[in-house]
Formats: sequence, C-alpha cells, structure tokens
Amino acid sequence: MIEFVHLRKEYDNVLAVEDLSLNIPEGEIFGLIGPNGAGKTTTIRMACGLLAPTLGRALIAGVDVAQEPERAQQHIGYLSDFFAVYEDLKVWEYLDYFAHAYKMPEAEIPARITEVIAQVNLEVKRDAMIRGLSRGMKQRLGIARAIIHRPRVMLLDEPASGLDPKARLELRNLLRSLRDQGATILISSHILTELEGFCTSIGIMEKGRMVRSGSIEEVTAAAASTRLVRLSWAGDSLAVAEGKLKSDPRISEVNLAAGMGTFRFSGAEEELAPVLAALVAANVRLTSFGEVKQTVEELYMKLSTHEVM
Amino acid sequence: MPRFWTNPEFVRHRRAELRPVRAITVAAVVVLMCVLLGLACWSYQQSILEQALANASKQGAESIQEGFARNTWLLLYYWLVGLQGVALTFWTLFSCAQSVSGERDLKTWEFQRTTRLTSAEILIGKLMGEPILVYFAVLCAAPITLVAGLAGGLSLGTVISVFLLLAVTSLFLGLGGMWLSTLMESRTRGLGLMGALALYGITLGMFGMYESGMPGLAAISPVAGMIQLLGDESARVPAPVLFGHQISWLLMGALLCGSFGAWLALMLIRNLKRDYPEIRPLSRWQAIGCAAFLNFLIYALLRPTPLKSSAAPGWFTDAGSVALFVVAMNGLILFLMGLATLTPQERLKVWRLKRATGESALFADDGLPWPWLGISAVVAYALMVWGLLAWGHTLPLDMGTLQAAAIRLLLVLVFVTRDVLFLQWCMLTRLRQPVVKGVLFLCLYYAAATVLTALAGVSSEAAERWMLALLTPVLAFDPEVRGIAFPAATYAGLALQTGVIATVLVAISSRLQRPMRAAAAA
Repeated sequence: MIEFVHLRKEYDNVLAVEDLSLNIPEGEIFGLIGPNGAGKTTTIRMACGLLAPTLGRALIAGVDVAQEPERAQQHIGYLSDFFAVYEDLKVWEYLDYFAHAYKMPEAEIPARITEVIAQVNLEVKRDAMIRGLSRGMKQRLGIARAIIHRPRVMLLDEPASGLDPKARLELRNLLRSLRDQGATILISSHILTELEGFCTSIGIMEKGRMVRSGSIEEVTAAAASTRLVRLSWAGDSLAVAEGKLKSDPRISEVNLAAGMGTFRFSGAEEELAPVLAALVAANVRLTSFGEVKQTVEELYMKLSTHEVM
Repeated sequence: MPRFWTNPEFVRHRRAELRPVRAITVAAVVVLMCVLLGLACWSYQQSILEQALANASKQGAESIQEGFARNTWLLLYYWLVGLQGVALTFWTLFSCAQSVSGERDLKTWEFQRTTRLTSAEILIGKLMGEPILVYFAVLCAAPITLVAGLAGGLSLGTVISVFLLLAVTSLFLGLGGMWLSTLMESRTRGLGLMGALALYGITLGMFGMYESGMPGLAAISPVAGMIQLLGDESARVPAPVLFGHQISWLLMGALLCGSFGAWLALMLIRNLKRDYPEIRPLSRWQAIGCAAFLNFLIYALLRPTPLKSSAAPGWFTDAGSVALFVVAMNGLILFLMGLATLTPQERLKVWRLKRATGESALFADDGLPWPWLGISAVVAYALMVWGLLAWGHTLPLDMGTLQAAAIRLLLVLVFVTRDVLFLQWCMLTRLRQPVVKGVLFLCLYYAAATVLTALAGVSSEAAERWMLALLTPVLAFDPEVRGIAFPAATYAGLALQTGVIATVLVAISSRLQRPMRAAAAA
C-alpha cells in the first residue's frame, strides 16, 4: 500500500534520506523510529507529496505521488506535529472545506461531517467558531480533517507531540479503530512508548538510512538470538527446576531464586511447549511461564548505532 | 474561472469574510458613503449653479439649470468609479500578495497542498476569494454607479466598459500579488508587501509610456483606458499602435493584461503546490517562449518615427536604434530568464550523474542554464531579423545593422551567461539567500569595474575604453559602430569573458563532485 523505491532526498549540501526502499502492506501499522534529524519527517513529506524526491519514487496505493499527486492524495490522510487550523471558520465549515477539497461526493459530505465530529467528540462545538476552541479541541479537529475523506493510508508525523495525555489516548484509540477498518498507517515518532503495543512493524532510521525494518517479531528475532523466559512456581522446587532447565542445551543464563526466575531459550516460540511440559512432569508447580517481550524502546536501544548526527 | 463560486477555496473565503452581519454592515456603509458622496456632489454643483446664475442671463441660467442634474450625477459617477478603482486594485493586489505567504505563516498551507485541489483550483479560489470583501463592496456600489453613469449622460456600454477595465486590471494585479506571495516565506513577507507596492506604482506609472517609442505599454495602466472612456476630447491621448495600426486603449489594455496575466497564471499553476525551495517560475522551454513573447511584443508595440517623417523624433528613428534597443532589452530578458531557470543543487547533481551515464542531455530541464540562454539569444536574433524586415518599409534596413546587432547580442549574451553562471555557482555554496547575495556581488563587481575604468581614464582615453570593454558590455552599445567593425578591445573583452565562463563552469563542476554531508544534527 505504501512503497518507497530507492528514495533519496538532498537539501543543498545535506543528504536527508539515502536510498530508502520499503514496502508496507495493506492494514499494517508501521512505526518509523529514530532520533531527530534521522530523515523520518522528510520521508513522510515525500510520501504525501509535500516534497519531491531527488531520486526514486514514493507510491501510495500504486500511484506515484510525484507524478500524480492529486490522485495519490485522495488515499492519504496527513497529520503532522502542528495543528494549524483556519480560525475564522466554524467547526463544520472547516471540515466541509476539506471534504470538498478532497473531492468527496457532494451527497456524502454532511453525513460524513457529522460522523467525524462524533468520532473526535466535538458534537457540542459543531457550530462554534474555531478561534474559540481550546488547544486540545483544535488538535482533535486537525485529526478529524485528516480522516474526513476516509483515507486508506494515514501518514502521521510525530502526531502526538504536544498532545495532552487524554488527547494522546484518544488519538491512539482513533488510530486503532482506523486500523480495524483496514487503514494502513505510517507513523513516525521519537517517543517510543507512543508506538508500544500499537505498531505491527517498525523501521529504525538513522542518518537518513533505514538501519533495520520488518515486523516486530522479525526485528526482535534479528535483535536477539535468544528469548528471555520468565517463570514462577509454588512450593520448594528450585533445585528440580534448575536441574531440568540446565539439562536442556538450548537453555542458558538460568537465573532462579525462591519461587521465580528467568532463563534464555534459543529455540522457536513453539519449542517452549516441551520445556513447560518437562517442568510440569518433574512436579514443578508452575504458576506462570512465558516469554518476556521486548519493548520497542529496548529494541531500538539494542539496534540503534546511537550515532549522533 | 468557470463555476468559481463552488470552488472550495472561494467558499472558504466567502464563509470567513462574508458572514451575514459583516455583509450587512459593509453594504450599509457602502450605501451610506454613496449617499454622502451624492450629497457632497449636489452641494458642490449647487454652489457652482448659484455662482453661474448670479452672472448669467435668463437664457443662460435656464441652460445651466437643465444641465444641473446631469452634471451632478456625472460628478458622483466619477467619484464612485475613482474610489472603487483605487479600492479594488489596491485591495486585490495586497490581499493576494499575502495569500500564500500568510498561509505559510499560519502553517495551514501544507494541509491545503495535501488535498486534491489542483494548483489551478487553488489559484482561482484565492484570486476570487482573498479580496471578496472589496468585490462585495464594489457589487453593492455598482447599481448606484450604474444609475449615476446613465443619469450623467454616459452610455451603458461605457459604464460597463469601465467596470470591465477595472476588473481586468485588478485580476492582473491580483495574479502579480499572488506570484510575489508565492516567492515569499513567512520571514520575508514584508519584502513581498514592498514588492506589491512597487508593482502597484509601476502599473499605474506605466501610463507615462504613452509618449515613448512603445506607447501601447501605457495600456497596462487603467488610467489610459479611463481617459479614453471618460475624458473629454482635450484630455485624450493618441491611440496606441499594434503592428503600426491604431487600436483602442481598452483593447490594448485587455491584450497586455491578458497576456502578462497568462504568463503569471502559468508560473503560479506550475509552482503553487511545490515546496518553497523547489519553486522554479518556468520550465526551460517556457522561459524561451516567454523571452520570444517579450521580443515579439517589442516589434508589435513599436512606434517608429523616422527622421524624414513630419512627427517629432522619438525613440526609434532608424533600424539601428531599434536594434540597439532590442539588444539592450534582451540583456535584461536573458538575465531574468537566467534567474528564472537557475537549477537547485540537488537537481543539478542528479543531472550531472545522469549525464555521465548518458541518460540526460545538455539541453535538459535540470541542467545548467547556459545552453538555454544561447537558444534564447538565437530566437531573439531571428525575431530581430524578422521584426526589422517587417518594419523595413518605415525604417530602411541594411546588412551592417544586422551584423552589428549580431555582435552586440553575442557580447550581451556572454556577459549575461557569465553572471547567470556565477549565480548558479553561488547556489552551490553554503551562502544563505545565495541568489540575493550573488546579485549583490554582481552589483559590487560592476561598481568596481566603473571605478577601475575611471582610474584607467586618468592615464588615457584608450586605456579607459580597453578597461570598459574588458570588464563590461557597455561598448556594445556604441551607436557609431556599423557592421562588425567594433574596436579590438571589444573582441578582447569577448574572449576574456568566455574564459571567465569556462572557469566558472569548472568551479561549478568541482562543487558538484563534492560528497554530501549526512543529515542534520539530532
């Protein structure tokens, strides 16, 4: 749905994005992470047609954004870290303007405006002037603008920066509902907790290059050759459990204390089942057993070269 | 323009600017002003009438009384048209001059650029929408103006023509203002407004050209058309000429505003949705077309005054003076064309890479500007030959004039190419605002050349001419030279500057070979 082919962008003497090739399938939520100046914003601006690439192509739903910007933009909802709005319009007029600007069918527009206003909880402000709205409300209106034309692709550049916690939560819920409706989302952030438990794939950018990309599982697997497993048990089974675990050649770094502990396992996820069965068979009364998933932050810290640009 | 009232950008402005309360207030104020103006005119005419009655015979008094109403309406009409003209043109220009830069300032521009609105739709929406308040005010005053004009004895055609003249001029100024606005970032908005003020002054001031060798240029100012429509016989200026034939000021104004407006619209449509650093007014072929159009315009608007004719000598007394003027104008046209076609560093690097692999040609849109300046000069010379032959019946042409013009144009081309390539080199450096600084460096260069020439002049006149020829193209404009018999210094200057061009090209090439720095600091 989103495809970058050898994308490159130079500004004067600066190479902002270098030979970026990426394919994000439909329904994916792709988190673009990296420090400030890594090229995330430039990438997103090229994807939505605000910047022309120096070389390469950005395709949205198969449409080359630089060649047919208006056709590509019908599929794109763009949200950036600033929420500038036309202060001299009413809430519904603002959305009506963008609905027409995105060339939605005339008959659909009134119902869609009502629907979107409800989605961002601005029903009571429908006829209010925008200049009278609070900052949070204006931000929500900005989100409504981005989704008014039912885009299949959402391009979000640091969308949560400057949002209060409640608005962040609302944004997250809104994006989840868009994902459930089949939208493909490319979201950039340097606040990694924002992306936690939300993205299906991530890409780590540094110095204009994609250092690593893929599904969370793939990136995790690439980042760590072993899985960290945590277990806990009832009763006095420390010695038995330790003996069983150490006897398995795939297990290392066994670190058990009274009633709980961790170990590293080098096999696939499904291969953990026999380990669990063996412990149960050895009369270890397990109360919990499972892999400790790495957070996006831990992954980033592990994979990033931490080069300061 | 068709169905502009449904254009989302126009609708946005209409909603924002013309809310019912504001619209009613504006309409009421306009009507009130019209009434007050009417009373003032009536009072003025009344005082004139009373004075006239005191001094006139009975028969004379009757005729003055008969003309009283007509004169009062006519006076009111003049005032209304004058005020509307000033308000319409001034407001349109200045609101359009802030349209794009204002949105950049508010940061709403990016969201507009990511919609499906095309550049043409945005252009029409802004042109019709930004000044909507003044359009509405004029619309409110229009019925009163119409009545005043008709009651004042003017024909319906004249009254409508005046409105059309004002509309065409304000749309032209609006396009000019919007182009200025496109060129300005939020931090240079003030500069844009100053540019708009200058544009307003130039447009009105063009009226002064009616006495020049190209009187038609005065038609850009609405004053010429107004005088033709509303002025009495004594105030009227001679009609302009198009290819030697007299046409009305109105038609000439429509032709000029229409054609210049079309070029502005083309530049806007090409660039409105582009990011600021990627703005390039015209493609290379379009720039050549524009240069050809401007050259063509010179011959179309020319009013020759041969020495043998009864008319007082003007700008163009023979073919040589026309050729000299055309060469001088082409110096300006080529420089502006060079400025409009400078290539951003990233595009130039890509062009260089593609050229190395044979994917791109020398005459590419992203390549260096000099080959296109050459083409433009050739087109200008071809048009000059055509133009001088076409005017041959009035201004006899000889081969020497054409030869001298060729050498002059070559000299101008070389100097302009050198200057444009220098600006291109500036764009590859890390200078902030490289083009502005480059132009300032060029000004410094010509100031230094003047000083050096003056210093050389202290020793001998020959040294002064040599210095002038080596450093500037001034000697190309020596009207005494016929054929190719230019002084040796002129040819030496030509050779020297060709060498300078080669040096600048080498400098550009070495700049393009430098590796890129990685992204900005975190």
